[in-house]
Amino acid sequence: MIPLSAKRWSGLLAGLPSVLFLVVLSVRGDDLDQRVRKMEEERIKVIEKVQPAVVAVLTGGGSGVLISEDGYALTNFHVTEAARGPLMKCGLPDGNVYDAVLVGLDKVGDVALIKLLPKKPGDKFPYARLGDSDKLQAGDWSLAMGNPFLLANDFTPTVTYGLISGVHRYQYPEGTLLEYTDCIQIDTSINPGNSGGPLFNMQGELIGINGRGSFEKRGRVNSGVGYAISINQIKNFLPQLKAGMDTDHASPGFRLETDDEEGGLVKLIVKQIIPSDAMRRGIDVDDQAAVFAGQRLRSVNQFKNLLGLYPKGWRLPITYRRVNEKKQAETHETLIRLMGVQSQELPQPGQPQPQPGPGPRPRPGPGPGPGPGAAPVPNSPASKLYKAKDGFANFYFNELEQKRLLNSFHKHGEFSKATGDWVIRTTGTLFAGVGPRGKRVVADFTIRSKGARDRQNDLAQAIVDGLDYSLEPLNDEEKAATRHDPPDSGGLLMALYQYRQLLVYGDKGFVTRFSHGGAEPFYPPRDAQTKLDYAKLRVDAEVFRTRHAGVDGKWYFSMKNDETAGQLLGFEIWLDRDEDPCEVYLFDYKDVDGGKLPHRMEIRFGDKTYANLLVNAWKKDEGK
Amino acid sequence: MNTHRYIVRAVLCLTSVVVAAPVRAEDSFAQICDKVNPKLVKLFGAGGFRGLQSYGSGILVSPDGYILTINSHILDTQDLRVHLADGTHYHAKVIAIEPELDVALVKIGDNKLKVEDLPYFDVMEAGKREPVEPGTGVLAFSNQFQIATRDEPMSVQRGVIASYSKLYGRLGIFEATYKGDVYVVDAITNNPGAAGGALTTRKGELLGLVGKELRNELTNTWINYAIPINARITVTQADGNQATVGILDIVEKKEKYKPLTPSKKNEGPGVYTGIILVADPVERTPPYIEEVIPGSPADKAKLQPDDLIVYVDGVLVGDIHTFHEVLSRYHPNQSVKLEIQRDRKLQTITLTLEKPKAKKPAAKK
Repeated sequence: MIPLSAKRWSGLLAGLPSVLFLVVLSVRGDDLDQRVRKMEEERIKVIEKVQPAVVAVLTGGGSGVLISEDGYALTNFHVTEAARGPLMKCGLPDGNVYDAVLVGLDKVGDVALIKLLPKKPGDKFPYARLGDSDKLQAGDWSLAMGNPFLLANDFTPTVTYGLISGVHRYQYPEGTLLEYTDCIQIDTSINPGNSGGPLFNMQGELIGINGRGSFEKRGRVNSGVGYAISINQIKNFLPQLKAGMDTDHASPGFRLETDDEEGGLVKLIVKQIIPSDAMRRGIDVDDQAAVFAGQRLRSVNQFKNLLGLYPKGWRLPITYRRVNEKKQAETHETLIRLMGVQSQELPQPGQPQPQPGPGPRPRPGPGPGPGPGAAPVPNSPASKLYKAKDGFANFYFNELEQKRLLNSFHKHGEFSKATGDWVIRTTGTLFAGVGPRGKRVVADFTIRSKGARDRQNDLAQAIVDGLDYSLEPLNDEEKAATRHDPPDSGGLLMALYQYRQLLVYGDKGFVTRFSHGGAEPFYPPRDAQTKLDYAKLRVDAEVFRTRHAGVDGKWYFSMKNDETAGQLLGFEIWLDRDEDPCEVYLFDYKDVDGGKLPHRMEIRFGDKTYANLLVNAWKKDEGK
Repeated sequence: MNTHRYIVRAVLCLTSVVVAAPVRAEDSFAQICDKVNPKLVKLFGAGGFRGLQSYGSGILVSPDGYILTINSHILDTQDLRVHLADGTHYHAKVIAIEPELDVALVKIGDNKLKVEDLPYFDVMEAGKREPVEPGTGVLAFSNQFQIATRDEPMSVQRGVIASYSKLYGRLGIFEATYKGDVYVVDAITNNPGAAGGALTTRKGELLGLVGKELRNELTNTWINYAIPINARITVTQADGNQATVGILDIVEKKEKYKPLTPSKKNEGPGVYTGIILVADPVERTPPYIEEVIPGSPADKAKLQPDDLIVYVDGVLVGDIHTFHEVLSRYHPNQSVKLEIQRDRKLQTITLTLEKPKAKKPAAKK
């Protein structure tokens, strides 16, 4: 049976190769092959384009990526942590080793900004352009580059190629508060040493920083599940990182739980609330949190993802719903100031960081174990670019940013000579305080230089609608009520005193603290006719943070790329950290002697407008 | 005939490559993901201790809420929950389990809470497709590591079919129950919680269910595999009859499906080799041959006392227990290839199994 059929098939089989050959030929000739080749060429081009910007962080045993021609580079916090000091050495694919210094830290988000020093002053670095990670979709291709297993002696990065497996992923904190929110999940291989390295889209734009993987029983190598911190999250923190800050992420002040009927849509209910801005804005237990930062809330993970995108202190809109006593559904929209997540739980610098190890849960853990022999770098020229200060990763860079913003601010007006008395004469409308709402009033404010009883300190006075107020800002014995005057303003006298400090003395006007605070959203009040839309109101502003006379201040400056850059948009003065601040919004800048000053001020406290004041005159004397 | 069919299929296969619209490898699979994801569910059930995950994956196989998944400990609860792609959640009930296929059918919704018009995989249609060849690009979708909850999409990974072959794996120290054909994938798809996810073509057509976390018996390495949707398995039942079932039978019969009742070890007809092994006083005694019964299959195959049996059809048999366990899967008249060590050399001996002579053939001397 078998021999026969074998013979019979032999003829057919003889014919087959030619058939196969033809088919093979047609595949080869088909443009599929050319397309594959073209894609390959395109891919190689992208890799060649971005490769020069990939950094091997030698001290710490990880990777990084340059994001500016002056040498700023992103990496992971856990990579710089392993460097055991602010100074490090980095290798670039040009084969050279560069000195580098830590600039800013985001410990919770596992991001660090470092700066490489050029070989010659003014030399420019190759750098990667930032992409838009919100445009990514699961199923897109990606390129990871870096220095896995510290393979490359010449600092040529290893390239891996794979899929985006998921976007907007949430990964629980592991051991510490180091939490991966809104991260990009990839099946692109990342291994120990890839940490801090770039994830690129196929256009060669930087979309994330590779940082961790899900490791379990297979050991600390690629398990097909890696995570990158999305570049859009990092963009929110970048101004703070550039200002040398040790940043913190946001927490809302309340805890949400899902509450849904089987088969019904998910509702997120406030289960617990602590004293916070959210509580002061009226959010209560059992309210439904519906929308946060413009996103409809769908799950606890998603809410945590959203929160993780923002630094502590940012103000963002939230919409919540409740059923009132009359069984009517109410919807409220308000801004809340976000609290931080870090407290004493975070290890202080210098203390060892608990390393995530194997256990029952999925093991998201930092990719690289710190490389062996991560010894502090001695005698680095980068040491000139480092200044230690509590609460900062590197205060040297904060001072740089302060100087830059102060210069820009002073272009709008320089009042350092006006150290004498200041008078602001206004007329306007009072919406709170003494008297009927909406009352037209005259309000004059005076800061008297050395006008206090001790003849050393200043005195702040006001006459609002015929009523006198007086405050010695630096006098500890002033009553709380006096410090809050005029009533319902939240402390406008104190606020204007602080404003003069900034105008006259700049950074020197704030004894306890003066620092650059990165960038934050700022929401100028709308006029009554405009529909409430916080997204439209929002402008991004550079921030100074101050503390003087026992009160905290936050100052918002325009960062628009036009002639308004550096102009003061408004400020907030906190008489007490657990209270609402006095918010002063500044409009209608006009020329006065020495520069431009605002000619309309809107003052808000809590949920209310206190007053809307038109400035008739600024009077300021030179010091005696 | 087999050769013939294979070649024809190979030719067809090549032709289809030419005919099929060329897909740019660089093109995103985002649209495919959007199409597949609504047909996938996240399962939450028993577990959460001693390294046993309490979550898994499944695929919708009907518009009214039948879900196919891999049989595992997570189903062993009264409180099995399902999250659909739109973020809604349901309690689920186990409809049928077939341990021999390692799959289970569960359902959400009932008369009180109707579910309808859900997106689903047409598994009957998928079952008609020929198995894809090694080298075919695939996508794997699952909720590995419980990364997603509620309406968050499942993880997607890409890989290539490395082979289509029989599964030899073990799960912890227990052997995998399923021994049929699997797709072996070159990507790390079988992570915790991935079992029950979908393996699809790069166009999102269903190929199989992502399997459990298993180690290969031979190399002790992790294997990444999926059970093909048209998997069928033949089992000798307790009554001595052989039965063949497939995943599609379970999906078709639903509540009416009756699991197989495979013969338990030593209860079935078994096979006769004529090998008498050394005494087994301790656990994990290596299977050394003590004696060969004259005239038996072992004798005919020229096995000798002191031979050490190392492999049975490629399966490592480290101890006497495993040897018996592996042999119990065979039927009389089947051939089995033994790798034995004799005088420090490995050699291969083929044995044709026979029906048991008596109740306890090996006990007589």
